[in-house]
Amino acid sequence: MKKTISVALTGNPNVGKTTVFNTITGSRQHVGNWPGVTVEKKTGRCEYADTSIEVTDLPGTYSLTAYSADEVIARNFIIEDNPDVVVQVVDASNLERNLYLTMQLAELGRPVIVALNMVDVAEGRGDTIDEKRLSELLAMPVVRTVGTSGRGLDRLLETIIAVAAKGEKHTHTIGYGDEAEALISDLVRILDDDPALAGGYPLRWLAVRAIEGDSAVLALIEKSSVAGAVQARLQQIDLDEYEALLADKRYEAIGAILPQACTMCVRKMTGSDMIDRVVTNKYLGIPIFLALMWGAFQLTFAVAEPFMAGIEYVFGWLGEVVAGSIGNEWLASLLGDGVIGGVGGVFVFVPNIFILFLILSILEGSGYLARAAFIMDRLMYVIGLPGKSFIPMLMGFGCNVPAIMSTRTIEDDRDRLITILVNPFISCGARLPVYILFAGVFFGRDAGNVIFGLYALGIVVAILSAKLFRCTILPGESSPFIMEMPPYRIPTIKNAMLNMWEKGSMYLKKAGGIILIGSLIVWFLASYPAGVEYGSEESFAGMIGHLLEPLVSPLGLDWKIAVALIFGFVAKEIVVSSLGVLYGADEGSAALSDALLADPALSMAGALAVMVFVLLYMPCVATLGVIKKETGSWRWAGFSVLYGLVVAWILAFATFHLASYFLGGA
Amino acid sequence: MASCPLSLLSAGTTGKITGVHAGEGLRRRLYALGLIPEATVTVVTRDRGSIIVSVCGCRYALSRGMAMKVIIAPEVAAR
Ligand SMILES: Nc1nc2c(ncn2[C@@H]2O[C@H](COP(=O)(O)OP(=O)(O)OP(=O)(O)O)[C@@H](O)[C@H]2O)c(=O)[nH]1
Ligand SMILES: [Mg+2]
Repeated sequence: MKKTISVALTGNPNVGKTTVFNTITGSRQHVGNWPGVTVEKKTGRCEYADTSIEVTDLPGTYSLTAYSADEVIARNFIIEDNPDVVVQVVDASNLERNLYLTMQLAELGRPVIVALNMVDVAEGRGDTIDEKRLSELLAMPVVRTVGTSGRGLDRLLETIIAVAAKGEKHTHTIGYGDEAEALISDLVRILDDDPALAGGYPLRWLAVRAIEGDSAVLALIEKSSVAGAVQARLQQIDLDEYEALLADKRYEAIGAILPQACTMCVRKMTGSDMIDRVVTNKYLGIPIFLALMWGAFQLTFAVAEPFMAGIEYVFGWLGEVVAGSIGNEWLASLLGDGVIGGVGGVFVFVPNIFILFLILSILEGSGYLARAAFIMDRLMYVIGLPGKSFIPMLMGFGCNVPAIMSTRTIEDDRDRLITILVNPFISCGARLPVYILFAGVFFGRDAGNVIFGLYALGIVVAILSAKLFRCTILPGESSPFIMEMPPYRIPTIKNAMLNMWEKGSMYLKKAGGIILIGSLIVWFLASYPAGVEYGSEESFAGMIGHLLEPLVSPLGLDWKIAVALIFGFVAKEIVVSSLGVLYGADEGSAALSDALLADPALSMAGALAVMVFVLLYMPCVATLGVIKKETGSWRWAGFSVLYGLVVAWILAFATFHLASYFLGGA
Repeated sequence: MASCPLSLLSAGTTGKITGVHAGEGLRRRLYALGLIPEATVTVVTRDRGSIIVSVCGCRYALSRGMAMKVIIAPEVAAR
């Protein structure tokens, strides 16, 4: 039988763990140039030289004392899941801080391998790292790697297999000086009296963690038979002083190692600093940010335009073929109105979605995303959130689900909860088709401005809601934050394409799956009970719509929109596909856009109201699921639905009446 | 020059950390990031108290509240 080895990839945030993981396991996990991209552990497999290696990619962590939700995941895996080998991915261009974690890992008594990643950056700068010497000094194997090109990864796998075969625990740890060592050995002696503790963990590690006030370790000791004795010993000392001492000694040890193993080895980011002086400048920061957003936004449309026209043409042609060649009227309607009208309506927007994701991916890969958090800090402070909360907002432009997951890096629970609750107001990619459709039909050349306005409205509502929550149900101050600013990098084409394809293909799958099903259901509702005219007010769809009409008519909308909105809860694109199905009845009008324009029940003001309502009305099913998961209760998920509906209704109502007044003709 | 909170320094200033006034969780985090007493920091940009600093080769953004907790003894400017 083949041998299986379990390996954990750990290390500081943004050092290239996921890049290494993707290359050795052939996975396609998300990579980006900012700290906190990975917030969940992911496992993959790789077969190498008769051995099956099970690799787990972990969220980045600065130390083994976890501080935020994602770090807890990283730490618990290493400590509780007992991987055979721990690989610490290290940023070779920034050894000093990275080795702090190495010093802590060494105490764990597990086999540890250091992967000196990003050596290309270090070499490019003229640093020379003597990895043999470094390996001797750390008493751990050290392998040079470049995650992006795959260089050195075979060596890494060979080393993993060799280390696992030997099965030796790491024993070399640094000394903390006489005073601290006396305390540590006292604690070790006390802890040794409890066989359960002595069997499960390296006692020196437990002692050090207890001195550093690690809550998980203290809880462990609390439950043991030696709890009282440990407490008594710890009470004799000034813990704060010892904590600083331990940190100091670790840096001292690193300071002793580094000059022996490398020249320079201090990250110089002169280029990045220069960019930062401009981009994060007090006066230029926000204008540059807005200009970038505006440019990205224009690009999404300009580049997608010709592709859209092509796809629209193909579906139009398909529709004609179906209508012309299929004799069976029932089947022709099912395929023509249900499938082509519904799915085709959503398919047209695939180019926009792909380009949107490409732009977001480039933004992430460049390192600018982290700067945006700094630039927005002042604004966020006013509404009572840390600047860090701005990153999930920007991610929300792609999809709210990963955006809400990314809030795990926010340490304070209330800050995090508010950031989660306002995220659904950030307009995700799935809402874009609705805007393009309605704005394109009713606003022609002004469509771009209208859509930009909707995005802005989403942000404004999110920000005002955050302020409202801060003043009412979740009071408090924004907690102080610190965040690493990665060096600017040119995004790799491979990553940009991969990210675009991963997210974009999800949209495609949705179009082929849930949106197809939704379209068929709407088609069924529009066709039955038997004998009614397709899509008429007597059909089931008509009945449901009329039931809801009193709710939407103050917004200037009719029953068809009401039906579409109901189904849009599943996925917002379904608003478009449902309308495609419902308006499919109008023979002769090729595209949905013409049908909408021809509908006397819809006006410019009504179109605006639809868009505002779709922007705000409620999180889609997937988002609702992730809100429940991340907040741990249905209560907040339910709250976000109710709150969203109320806000959406009020603002759509206001929009409709204001627009009717100014644009004339309701 | 006397010590003062990091948030009061202007861009381009360099100084040594003399103290970190934070709760233990936060302090541990700052230590792991290399913001320990005696470390040398340089201010890259400053925007009304929020600050980007460079510490042992890394760049960190600190919100105003955070930058108030780190006490610095600024070096007298070289020029
Ligand atoms: N030049 C260079 N860049 C690299 C290398 N490895 C990774 N990168 C880049 O470094 C950035 C971070 O990579 P990730 O793989 O997302 O890092 P991570 O450690 O998983 O980050 P978190 O999940 O946030 O903890 C990306 O922009 C990568 O393209 C490398 O060996 N050389
Ligand atoms: Mg990662």
